[in-house]
Amino acid sequence: MAKARRVALRIVGGLQCGSGGLASVFAYLVYASPLIREALTIASEEVPLYMFLFLVFGMFSILSGFLLVHEEDSGS
Amino acid sequence: MEGKSLKRELGLLHATMMGIGGAICAGVFVTLGYAATLAGTALIIAMILCGIINLFTMLSYAELGAAIPSAGGEYTFAKASFGGFLSFATGWFEWISNMFYAAFSSVGFAYLISYVIPAVNIPLIAIIAVAIFTIINIKGVKETGLTQTALVIILLGLLGVFIFLGIFTSQNVGSLELKAPEGFLGVLRASAFIFVVYLGGEAIAVAQAEIKDPGKTIPRAILLSCFALILIYTTIALVVFKIVPAESLAGKASPLAYVAEQFMGPFGVGIITIAGIIAALSSVNTSIMASSRVAYALSRDGYFPKGFFTLHARFRTPVIATLVGSVLTAAFAATGIVNFVTYATDFGFIIGFVFVNLSLIKLRRDKPNLHRPFKVPLYPLTPILGIVTSLLLIFFLEPSTLLIGLELFIFGLIAYYIRMVGHYRVCLAMGGMNLGISAFSALFAYLIISNLLPISLSQNIASLLFGVAILVSITYLIAGLLNVTRKHG
Repeated sequence: MAKARRVALRIVGGLQCGSGGLASVFAYLVYASPLIREALTIASEEVPLYMFLFLVFGMFSILSGFLLVHEEDSGS
Repeated sequence: MEGKSLKRELGLLHATMMGIGGAICAGVFVTLGYAATLAGTALIIAMILCGIINLFTMLSYAELGAAIPSAGGEYTFAKASFGGFLSFATGWFEWISNMFYAAFSSVGFAYLISYVIPAVNIPLIAIIAVAIFTIINIKGVKETGLTQTALVIILLGLLGVFIFLGIFTSQNVGSLELKAPEGFLGVLRASAFIFVVYLGGEAIAVAQAEIKDPGKTIPRAILLSCFALILIYTTIALVVFKIVPAESLAGKASPLAYVAEQFMGPFGVGIITIAGIIAALSSVNTSIMASSRVAYALSRDGYFPKGFFTLHARFRTPVIATLVGSVLTAAFAATGIVNFVTYATDFGFIIGFVFVNLSLIKLRRDKPNLHRPFKVPLYPLTPILGIVTSLLLIFFLEPSTLLIGLELFIFGLIAYYIRMVGHYRVCLAMGGMNLGISAFSALFAYLIISNLLPISLSQNIASLLFGVAILVSITYLIAGLLNVTRKHG
């Protein structure tokens, strides 16, 4: 059971870090790419709000992922 | 790597130049055009008004800096007066504002270089500028101060040439008659817009642990730099409106270069471009120094990791704090999100102004016997005016500024929470938030598949979003369960 938990911590922690990183990159793309904004029908005045949401989600995910991986590393 | 304390090596000249150089950034070379459309020739009044608003708060910096001359500036004042989250929030805003300011200035520097050498890579040049000033800052505060003094003296010389030749040139197309096309409201709006040119002078307070004879030098350097800035900006505005009409500045990318070209030709454009490059570099230098001292002070009080409190054994500079701040600055500069960085900088600095004035009032009430080599005149009117005018400025800024300020506040709150509460409680809170995100993602996936979203998406995008939402929902559900089932201790 402990081994399964360690594997799950590693995979889920890694996935969360990855998705957090992707969300942060996506926040930048929403800001920088008119093509992305057009595809997602984001008006220019809504850009700061979307950036805010993606950045908060991204930072939270990276933090949560690190905490999970850290638990796995410390072996608790 | 451990040293004992920072070295007091900055005299009155170095400290004053730090204040002037911290404030004169590339902004003054580009903001005049739009400000002139708002205030007309009454921009001269706006320049003086901004200088007086800046002076209200700088007097508070002078009193607090002389009374509590430890590293950290606003953060140290807030720590001495309020403590707890308020002091952390002040230090947090100050730390990131200075990093953003350094990033903004390095990008500004790279853009100015690109006018001279169009083929340059802007992010790369910005990163190189940050790297060079990081090395100078690690090498020692004396080197930082000398570099700053040299840069500001050259900058003042170039601006002096512009002002001197502008006053004595026979070219006189403009008018010095004060006219504001949008009335006093236009002057106020222009004041809020150009106030950024006065920000950055508080770097003196951040470096106060490295200033010789702080009781005398800090107030003198702060006041000298304040009055020098008012004089410089007002005379620049006078020359501008003497040479060209206010309305001709609208839409100009570099209004000062345009004015210089009118009476000095290409030589004038060259002078102003070089002055802009030097102004940007001196801001990068000051901001890197300021952000590292704030991180050092936050680490000293246990808010930041202990490594930030490490001093270089030989140079006695906060080497880890400088390196970490510079890496983050280079990352912000490389993204090139100039607008975001500018708004974040403005918000952080103005919030810092509010807290400094509040700290002054609190300390006068709580510690009346604290030794104060310098006292703010007309207390409590001066700090109250400092608070009111700073808050007014926030509401005259772009609405996005408030949203960005909120984002920065939330990140700060998370950092504080993680630092102050136990690891187990943080994991429980994370678990709860993970489960919440999982539920929200599941709902989002349901809305997409049921076609209930209030926006129209193409089939491909909808399928992609549905897949991402399901993946996020499952991942965060497992992450939440793993966090909440963690064993205590």
